[in-house]
Amino acid sequence: MVALIFANLKMMARNRQAIFWALFFPLMLVVVFGLFDFNGVGVADVAVIDQSGGPRAALFRERLDAIEFLDLEFEEFGPGDGRRKVEDGDLGYLIIIPELFDDPTGQAQAEGPAPVMILYSTRNPDRNQLVDGTVRNLVSDIHSDGSPVIPSLLLTADVIQVLEVDYFDNVLLGLLGLGIMTNSIISIAVRISTFRNQSILKRLLVTPLSIWKFFAAEIMAHVLLALVQAGIILALGVFVFGGHIHGNILWVLAVTILGSIVFLNIGFVLSAWAKSPAAASGMGNAVALPMMFLAGTFFSTSALPWVLPQLSLALPLTPMLAALRDIALDGEPIWDTWPYLAALCGWVAATALAAVKVFKFG
Amino acid sequence: MEPAVQVENLVKRFGSFTAVDGVTFAVERGEIFGIVGPNGAGKTTTLEIIESLQEPTLGRVSVLGLDVHSNTGKVKAQIGVQLQASAYYDYLNLKEILALLGSFYPSKTEPVTLLEQVGLADKSTNRIAELSGGQQQRFAVAASLVNNPELVILDEPTTGLDPQARRNLWGLIREVNQRGVTVVLTTHYMDEAEILCGRLAIMDHGKILALDTPRNLINQLEASYTVKLTMDQPMTLAQIESLNGAVEIVQSGKRDGEDVVMENTYLLRLANSPIALRAMLDEIAKAGLGLENLQITPVTLEDVFLELTGNELRD
Repeated sequence: MVALIFANLKMMARNRQAIFWALFFPLMLVVVFGLFDFNGVGVADVAVIDQSGGPRAALFRERLDAIEFLDLEFEEFGPGDGRRKVEDGDLGYLIIIPELFDDPTGQAQAEGPAPVMILYSTRNPDRNQLVDGTVRNLVSDIHSDGSPVIPSLLLTADVIQVLEVDYFDNVLLGLLGLGIMTNSIISIAVRISTFRNQSILKRLLVTPLSIWKFFAAEIMAHVLLALVQAGIILALGVFVFGGHIHGNILWVLAVTILGSIVFLNIGFVLSAWAKSPAAASGMGNAVALPMMFLAGTFFSTSALPWVLPQLSLALPLTPMLAALRDIALDGEPIWDTWPYLAALCGWVAATALAAVKVFKFG
Repeated sequence: MEPAVQVENLVKRFGSFTAVDGVTFAVERGEIFGIVGPNGAGKTTTLEIIESLQEPTLGRVSVLGLDVHSNTGKVKAQIGVQLQASAYYDYLNLKEILALLGSFYPSKTEPVTLLEQVGLADKSTNRIAELSGGQQQRFAVAASLVNNPELVILDEPTTGLDPQARRNLWGLIREVNQRGVTVVLTTHYMDEAEILCGRLAIMDHGKILALDTPRNLINQLEASYTVKLTMDQPMTLAQIESLNGAVEIVQSGKRDGEDVVMENTYLLRLANSPIALRAMLDEIAKAGLGLENLQITPVTLEDVFLELTGNELRD
C-alpha cells in the first residue's frame, strides 16, 4: 500500500496540467481578493446611551446623527451589554453620554467636564481613528460655548483589545475550504473515471491488492496533497497579503484533513455515476460551485435570501468553514468546535457508505 | 499433479443471456492452451471467471489445484493476467509500473529482469504512451509475469499488431512457456492458434464445439484441400454442384433470385484425393467451361473454424 501511495503522489506530481489547475484556481482567487481593499472606512454602526437626557445631550445626538458615515441607533441596553456587543463584534462603537453632561453645577463640583465615553475594539484601526477624531471634535465643539476646557478631558476612549481579524482573513479561510473541496471532488472523480475507462481498475482487480487498500491509498495520497495545498494557500495569504491566523495551525490542518475525506468520498460517488472523465469533471463542478456560494466561502450566509441560510447548514462545506474560522480566526481550540466536527464526521460516514454502495470497478 | 486449470460444467448468465453454457475442459501444466471463437462466443467471460473477476452462475473452476471461488486471493497471487483491453498508469514509467504491480504480490520479479526478458530494457524509463503497439503488448506480457506465475492468461495478446510484431510476440510466449509457465490464450487469428497452441478449444454461443490439437482438428474435416477456380464466365449453381469431387461450395450466391453464382471465382473444398481434382477438371472440360486460373491449398484451422462456426458475420 505504501508503494501505491508513493506511486499515486508521483503520478499526481507528473500530471502537471491537473496540478496547475487544482492549485491555480484557488490561488488566483487569493490574489484577486488580496488585491481588493475590503477594509475601507465604510459606514460605522454606533449606539448611543444617553444618561443625561438634557438639551446639550440632545444637540450632541442630533449633530452625531447628521454625520453621514455614522449609522446611529439609540438602544435600550445598559453600558455592560453595549460593551459585550462591541467585544463580540456585533456593534462597532458605543457612545455613552454621562449624567453630568448637561449639569454645569455637577461638572463644577467634579472640577471639570464630565467626559463622554466612547468604546470600540481594535478590529478596524483606520475607522477607529476617524470615528474617534470626529466624535472628539464634536464634543469639543458642543462644549466650546461654555468655559474653556481641555479637549482631551472631554472624551474618554475605552479601546477593547480583540484579535485582529478582517474580511480578507475570513475569505482566506473560505478559499482554503474551496480549494480543498474542488480539488478533492473533481480530482478524484476524474481520476477514477479515467482509470475505469482505461480498464486500469480492472487490471488492479486481477492482482491480490485488497480493495480497501486501493481506496486507502487514493485517499491518503489526496489528503497529503490537500495539506500541501492548504500550506501554500495559507502561506500566500499570510505572508504576501497580510492575512492573520490566530489559532493553532495543526488544528486547521486537522479540519482540512476531515473535510478533504468528505469531499474525496463525494468524488468517489460521482466517479461511479460518471460515464467519462469529462462527465466526472462536469458533475464535480456542478456539486462544488453551488456549494462554494451557499456555504459562506466569501460572504456570510446570513446575507442569503429565502431558505438558503438554512439550506447552507445542510452542506458539508459549511461546518468545515465554521470550524476553520473558529480555530484560525478566533483562536479557539479544536474541541470547542465539536458540533462542526461532529457534523463533518457524520458527513465522512454518510459519504463513505454511499461510495461503498455505488462504487464499481468495471 | 492437478491440471493448471480445471473447468467443470461452467455456466454464466447475464439476465436472460447465457454467455457460457455448460463448458468443461482442463488445461494441463506446461502446455499452451488456446481458446478461439467469434466475438461474443464466451471466451473472455470464461477467462474472467478463471481469473476470479466474475462469479460463475453454475459450475466449478479450479486453478493450480485451488478452487477459485474459495481461494480468490491465493489464486490471484499465483497467476499472471493480461486483459483484453487494459491500460497502465499514464504518469509512471515502465519500471515504476512493474515495481508497483510487483508490490501487490508476495513474490515478485525485478522490473529490470522482466523488461530484459521482453526486450524492453532500453525503454525502462519511458512511459506507456511512448511505446509502439507491439512494445505495449510485450510490456503487457511482462506485467503478467511480475509475480513469477505458474500460469499466465493472455486475452487476445496480438490483436491489432502488425505481422512482425505478432511473430515477435509468438516467440516471447513460447519462451515464457519453455520456462515451465502454463499459458492460456484467446485469439482471433487461426494461424496464431495453429502455430502456438498445443491444444485448442473452439467456442461459439457459449459452448465448446471442438477441443483437440490443431492437427487433429484439421484432420477431422472431410475435405483436405481448398480449390479456387476462376472461370471465364459465371457458372450456375447446378453447374458447380455437378462438379465431381467437390465436397462443399464455400463461396456461392444468387443474383436477383436466379440460380446464378455472383462472381467468376469460386471456392470449393475437395476430399484428400488427386482423383477428385482430375474428375473435377474433366467435368469442367466436358461442360465447355473456360478455366482461367486454378489454386489448390491444403485446408487450415481457419477452414475448421468456419466449418464449425459458420460463415455469417458476427457483431
